[in-house]
Amino acid sequence: MSTYNPINALLLFFAILIMAFFVFRPSKGWLWLILNSTKTNDKIVVEDILKLLYHNENADKHLNTNDIVRTIKNNERLIIENINKMVLHELITVEGDVVKLTKSGSDYALRIVRAHRLWEKFLAEKTGFKEAEWHALAEQKEHELSAAETEQLASRLGNPQFDPHGDPIPTQTGKIAKIKGTPISELEVNTIGRIIHIKDKPDVIYRQILAENIHIGSLIRIVEKTPERIVFHSEGEAFVLAPIVAGNITVTVLEKDMTFEDDLARLSNLKEGETAKIIGISKEIRGDSRRRLLDLGFVKGADVRIDLINPLGEPKAFLIKGTSIALRNNQASKILIKKE
Amino acid sequence: MDTKPKSACDTCVHFNAEGLKKLGVNTTNFDFVVALAGNPNTGKSTVFNAITGLRQHTGNWPGKTVTRAEGAFEYNKKKFKMVDLPGTYSLLSTSEDEEVARNFLLFGKPSVTVIVVDASRLERNLNLVLQILEITDRAVLCLNLMDEADRNGIEIDTRSLARELGIPVVASSARFNKGIPELIQTISDLANGKVSCKPHRIKNIPKKIEKAVEKLSDEIKKEYPNLPNSRWIAFRLLEGDRHIMEVLRTGEFV
Amino acid sequence: MKSKSIEDIIALSNDLRWQIGDDFHDNLAEGIYADAAEIVSTTVKTKDADRKFRLDARIDKILTSKLWGFPLMFLILALVLWVTIVGANYPSAMLSSLLLDTVHPALKGFASNIGLPWWLDGFLIDGVYLAVAWVVAVMLPPMAIFFPLFTLLEDFGYLPRVAFNLDHLFKLSGAHGKQALTMSMGFGCNAAGVVATRIIDSPRERLIAIITNNFSLCNGRWPTQILIATIFIGAIVSPSMAGIASLSAVIGIAVLGIFFMFLVSWALSKTVLKGEVSTFNLELPPYRPPRFWKTIYTSLIDRTIIVLWRAIVFAAPAGAVIWLISNIYLGDESIASWMIHSLDGFGFLLGLNGVILVAYIVAIPANEIVIPTILMLTVLVSGIPGGEGAGVMFELDSVNATGQILRSGGWTLLTAVNLMLFSLLHNPCSTTIYTIYKETKSLKWTTVATVLPIVMGFVVTFLVAQIWRLYA
Ligand SMILES: Nc1nc2c(ncn2[C@@H]2O[C@H](COP(=O)(O)OP(=O)(O)O)[C@@H](O)[C@H]2O)c(=O)[nH]1
Ligand SMILES: [Mg+2]
Repeated sequence: MSTYNPINALLLFFAILIMAFFVFRPSKGWLWLILNSTKTNDKIVVEDILKLLYHNENADKHLNTNDIVRTIKNNERLIIENINKMVLHELITVEGDVVKLTKSGSDYALRIVRAHRLWEKFLAEKTGFKEAEWHALAEQKEHELSAAETEQLASRLGNPQFDPHGDPIPTQTGKIAKIKGTPISELEVNTIGRIIHIKDKPDVIYRQILAENIHIGSLIRIVEKTPERIVFHSEGEAFVLAPIVAGNITVTVLEKDMTFEDDLARLSNLKEGETAKIIGISKEIRGDSRRRLLDLGFVKGADVRIDLINPLGEPKAFLIKGTSIALRNNQASKILIKKE
Repeated sequence: MDTKPKSACDTCVHFNAEGLKKLGVNTTNFDFVVALAGNPNTGKSTVFNAITGLRQHTGNWPGKTVTRAEGAFEYNKKKFKMVDLPGTYSLLSTSEDEEVARNFLLFGKPSVTVIVVDASRLERNLNLVLQILEITDRAVLCLNLMDEADRNGIEIDTRSLARELGIPVVASSARFNKGIPELIQTISDLANGKVSCKPHRIKNIPKKIEKAVEKLSDEIKKEYPNLPNSRWIAFRLLEGDRHIMEVLRTGEFV
Repeated sequence: MKSKSIEDIIALSNDLRWQIGDDFHDNLAEGIYADAAEIVSTTVKTKDADRKFRLDARIDKILTSKLWGFPLMFLILALVLWVTIVGANYPSAMLSSLLLDTVHPALKGFASNIGLPWWLDGFLIDGVYLAVAWVVAVMLPPMAIFFPLFTLLEDFGYLPRVAFNLDHLFKLSGAHGKQALTMSMGFGCNAAGVVATRIIDSPRERLIAIITNNFSLCNGRWPTQILIATIFIGAIVSPSMAGIASLSAVIGIAVLGIFFMFLVSWALSKTVLKGEVSTFNLELPPYRPPRFWKTIYTSLIDRTIIVLWRAIVFAAPAGAVIWLISNIYLGDESIASWMIHSLDGFGFLLGLNGVILVAYIVAIPANEIVIPTILMLTVLVSGIPGGEGAGVMFELDSVNATGQILRSGGWTLLTAVNLMLFSLLHNPCSTTIYTIYKETKSLKWTTVATVLPIVMGFVVTFLVAQIWRLYA
């Protein structure tokens, strides 16, 4: 202890702290990089190429080697090497310039797509991750799930048909449900429809749609359509979108006699002393928290009013079916009501 | 209707106070199993304590009982094991806290299920009651907290409630031991087959779902003809309940 | 073939599920409620709907009002803690005079009469028995007062209102309002607080509540805080202020604990627990007059059983270990004194000393034997006169005498302050660790909950020590 003095001790401490920061920092820390560098192996490159080809062939586009190198963000030599390997394993064929999937290649691709979409469904139903984070997380997880794990996941989720964006999840045997719908941009004024699909690419537009709080499953009614903008009502709010954005949202058109509630409000906007009827729960609430709200009696047609307000404004307790239930604003704002 | 639900007054004459022995935790060699189910905070544990003489913790706090407690009583020479299940709002979800209750009602094969409800909040409580009635056909509704309901000016016609639900209804104030003898008598009648039920079936379901449920439940009945709750199994299958699928495969519940 | 037709049924259910689409659960729930509404409309009559729940509403208006909500809450919690701490003094004194001053010597006498070898007598009576007796004497009275009071509040229906009032603050730190209750329960006993987190139905918030419960200063730690504050903090101000100063110091530590609880909750919800499901809904039950005697009786029995169980399962082995390390010699040094000397350097860095660290290591099972262990070890290594012998934990009746022993063991105001901080920020006791494992069934989260506070304790005491030495 001869060299001890408090300043040295503190300096040493902060030096260790800074070191630790560099080593353990998530996603940029050295530890993370080391762990990850061993993971960016051939498998990921191969699977990414397969997926890329699959999506493009579905859109009837054919890619050459250059396209692939350009789109996949990875070491160029690695990609070329792997393309050659994939030809050897008969996953793809190269005819002239064009790269095509073989039967076994497209089966493989389907399995990856299945894993990806199932994982997105899982994130939506069983975790608290934000919608904007799903895609990136599933992009990683699809490479990690083995075939058996994928099937386990599917059965745990009840073999869902669609992922949370409305994209069909291929079945184990490779069947894919067709999306039958119309982009919002092609609908006439006053059509009523239900959103069934939101494209999660390109990212810029997808983020814009998310920021607007538009969700799969919501009912909409078109109220205005011009070349510059499309206006529609959904869940008591008006949305204004540019046609190219609206083109990324697909709806199924519903029958004429469907009643569309226009003057909806949200439970969070209910004032003390007012009463209201519940119209429904926004599709944004999913999984267990949706079920719990239904179980507690927040179902269509139930009467609701405010029972108590927290001294700081939130949460509020609502009187529903004779019981006082407190909810935070982020949930209450997703319960649609009609004031009386 | 083949049900003869007895009102509280019919049964109290029959109640044989000498025939009752509270057995506490001694649950060996029982003749019947009685399950206590209901929403949280409706007085299940209070009923349980009143009948078994145990001291399960009761508390005015939803979610208090989290694991199941067991006790026993003897009535007219028959031994009953009683299981106090954790309170749940529903049996339809997949959340873990319901699992204990749901599994017990479905696979524990209770001879009688006592559904304890809060009389002041009947509508909300019926959500669970109607679900349980899809599972079991030997149940009694214990309309508890009657003193609070009286104070709040709520009147319940127990006879027509019993007719609607197709099971006996006993009004009680478990905390003051009111209605407990009638409840015991009814449990015993049900267990010994002196009363039979014709439980309510959920009606207000959209057509396309009703059709799917019927189709599925017919198939299940073909396979397991004696199953009283094929409709419930169908509900669960449509919900994608893996546990039920597993059990169907092994045939464990018949 | 049966298995084939079962597979067919399951396949059919998968098909049908696809056909009826996503809304199955919504439709079913709505359908059931529609049935319920029909039944209710023909069987229930509500006279005078306005009278409904009027008294409840009035109580609620006061208990959650802007003006009274928070002050009433703090008043009630303070009252419960005060009654616990003050009220526990008398039964504690009686128990310790019975178990420690009467039964212990009697047992010793009996042992020497029947000629028990010294090591067996020491191991069993000074080690095992004393630890058990200590835990019972220190822990039973406050537990037996705190929890019945708490249960009465619960039976009345007040606790959900506390959760309701405080939820806003907890939401800011990513936690659940019901954590207010598990936290308060932690002031009684962390293990009980951890079990109580079952009322939190959101998985993420429940984990946060479990991991941060240890930041509530439990009944086993209050006496340490009070004793050290009285000896050292009370001494630096004028005697007339001593009581207030030491009390404020203890309250300060408890408040600091609440601060750390919020801080750690926030950090956890932003980092490792990101992505866990988070929901909030809280049912506010009607007020009900508690059944006073029945509640007190049940909860008294409950607590007594828990304390006894804990004393026997966890404290008894600790007592045995304490006696053994003080009496087994490696060369010419006992294990205890060897450990103390090797940890002295590290202890010094933290503004503590080897004795304190060793005491905390062997007292993991039970925080309430820390002070007697520290006293025994101090006497053991410093060779000051006093004490009861190697491995025999003791405490002194007079606060002054205790202070003298500690000061001659080299304690300063810094040691005292850092001991108070360390007593707040260290690993949970083994009962709590065991409970956390039982509740989470996860080695990972149990480890986090165990290691996190002690790392924080090291960092905080280290920083305080260095800064203190720079300026003092
Ligand atoms: N007034 C009144 N209170 C009751 C009655 N039955 C139960 N309680 C109270 O209701 C609360 C909840 O009871 P408990 O048995 O723990 O409900 P559980 O959650 O369903 O097990 C406790 O405070 C009981 O004292 C009753 O018939 N009348
Ligand atoms: Mg209970």
